Amino acid sequence: MPDEFVTPEPDEAVKLALRRIDEATARGEGSDADGLAFNEVVVNMGPQHPSTHGVLRLVVTLDGELVKDVIPVIGYLHRCKEKLAERRTYFQYIPIVDRTEYVASMNCEWAYVMTVEKLAGIQPTRRAEFIRVITGELSRMASHLVAVGTFTADLAPLGTAMVFYMFRDREYILDLLEELSGARMMFNYFRFGGVRYDLPDGWTSKCRDLMKRMPKLIDEYESLVDDNAIFLQRTQGKGVITQQDVVDFGITGPNARASAVALDLRRSRPYSVYPELDFEVCTAEHGDIFDRYRVRMDELRESIRIVEQCLDMLPKGPVQAGALRAPYVITPPPGSCYVGQENPRGEYGTYIESDGSRYPYRLKYRDPCFCNLQLFPKLLSGNKIADAVAISGSIDLVLGGIDR
Amino acid sequence: MGLEVGSNPMSMDAIAALLAERFAGDLADIRIQEPDTIRTKCAPEQLKDIARRLKDDPDAGYETLNWIAGVDRQASIESIYHVYSWQTNTWLELHVDLPRENPEVDTVTGVWPAADWHEREAWDMVGIVYLGHPDLRRILLKDDFIGHPLRKDYIDLAENHPHA
Repeated sequence: MPDEFVTPEPDEAVKLALRRIDEATARGEGSDADGLAFNEVVVNMGPQHPSTHGVLRLVVTLDGELVKDVIPVIGYLHRCKEKLAERRTYFQYIPIVDRTEYVASMNCEWAYVMTVEKLAGIQPTRRAEFIRVITGELSRMASHLVAVGTFTADLAPLGTAMVFYMFRDREYILDLLEELSGARMMFNYFRFGGVRYDLPDGWTSKCRDLMKRMPKLIDEYESLVDDNAIFLQRTQGKGVITQQDVVDFGITGPNARASAVALDLRRSRPYSVYPELDFEVCTAEHGDIFDRYRVRMDELRESIRIVEQCLDMLPKGPVQAGALRAPYVITPPPGSCYVGQENPRGEYGTYIESDGSRYPYRLKYRDPCFCNLQLFPKLLSGNKIADAVAISGSIDLVLGGIDR
Repeated sequence: MGLEVGSNPMSMDAIAALLAERFAGDLADIRIQEPDTIRTKCAPEQLKDIARRLKDDPDAGYETLNWIAGVDRQASIESIYHVYSWQTNTWLELHVDLPRENPEVDTVTGVWPAADWHEREAWDMVGIVYLGHPDLRRILLKDDFIGHPLRKDYIDLAENHPHA
């Protein structure tokens, strides 16, 4: 038989799953209350499974339809971003940050640029700060549309109707950002001390138009699912994240807020011009799948409010501090600094250590999805496999950020 | 009512003074990093004990572990713990210096469950051994990868990743 038909050796994760089954059996937990032995099967889900939204691999131990154990395996999208930083100047590294959590690139750039600015003591101009908030919130809306759209597609009752509506409307937002930065998703727009380009002519009125249209579109999405009996049955009371989980595992973002934890870095450790803006921190009470969906929809509305306020308050002036264009080479003084920023998925931050040279000595990402994924074994165990798909969709993972 | 953020607001000076008093002799070099982070150091042997006490502190309980980073400082290797206090809404950065030839430190998974993956990442990237960790496997790189790429003396050879 040719070599390619030989079953490969199971890797470490599968071996671990098998070992856990053996250990449970040895402890006498291998059978149910009636003494019937469990018939456990280790199923490999991913890394190319459509419901994992990326190259996430879950080694799932199943007893019939019931999930008994989950071992997430990550690293399929690892691109050595932390190592790359050691050989790039601070300026050269900006486009690489885009590619970590690629669904909300603007927010990622923002977190990185804020950290370097704090290290080097650069103060961005006021107009740039408002433009940053506008782009960050537009990016958040685009990201939530992807999150909710793909998640409802997993749930089946609507088929792919919702995902098509949401991706259509996300494209309106991306059009705006493309006009601003020149790229549809990998923007490379933020600069130390400001942003790359000022708003083009007529951009603000286009943005205002879209913000006027958006609430109606959101109402339309909600009318599709909020009264749908199948949707409600599949989402309510399932996959509950408790407040203890939030504390223990460092869950942040909409996933934490759905469990009645009003943790929003825009409020709790305000940065940029957020203290001047009027917006609500959206929370929900139960922490189940439905509440996580609810929080994201509410945040869409809040983002519209924030963008509209910023357009009203937008001051005149330069978009780059100091010179006409951003400095190509900066050398922050030796030291280290961590700045967290409210990404659509939670707290995204970079820890940078500088040794006074042109290159970062050490750069480390704190990625929200990495921390949220760690809860999976606890969250999915005890559910039906079909619910596990719904739960993992509602957590909203982006593997680019997890694997870096 | 939900878990509150900043239920016990304290000034940074007050927190620094509180830590200096309660951890006299254990936490060295307590410094305030503006606007809301405290940086401090501790000895590796005491880490587990200090972590537990930091978490259980009644006034400024650092209950959530935010991230762990390993840093190669050439002379030594450092494990950095970044923890969050819900009560005071502040951060604390705990630096632990480890010898380069033998970077071993006790795991804090028993104190902060989130440490599990973060410690695996620091092991994977920088090669810090967390003693007593339940499942210290590589996380981002492949199981058969050789070396720890974020060490400053790491040289990328084809032999290091056999199945790339």
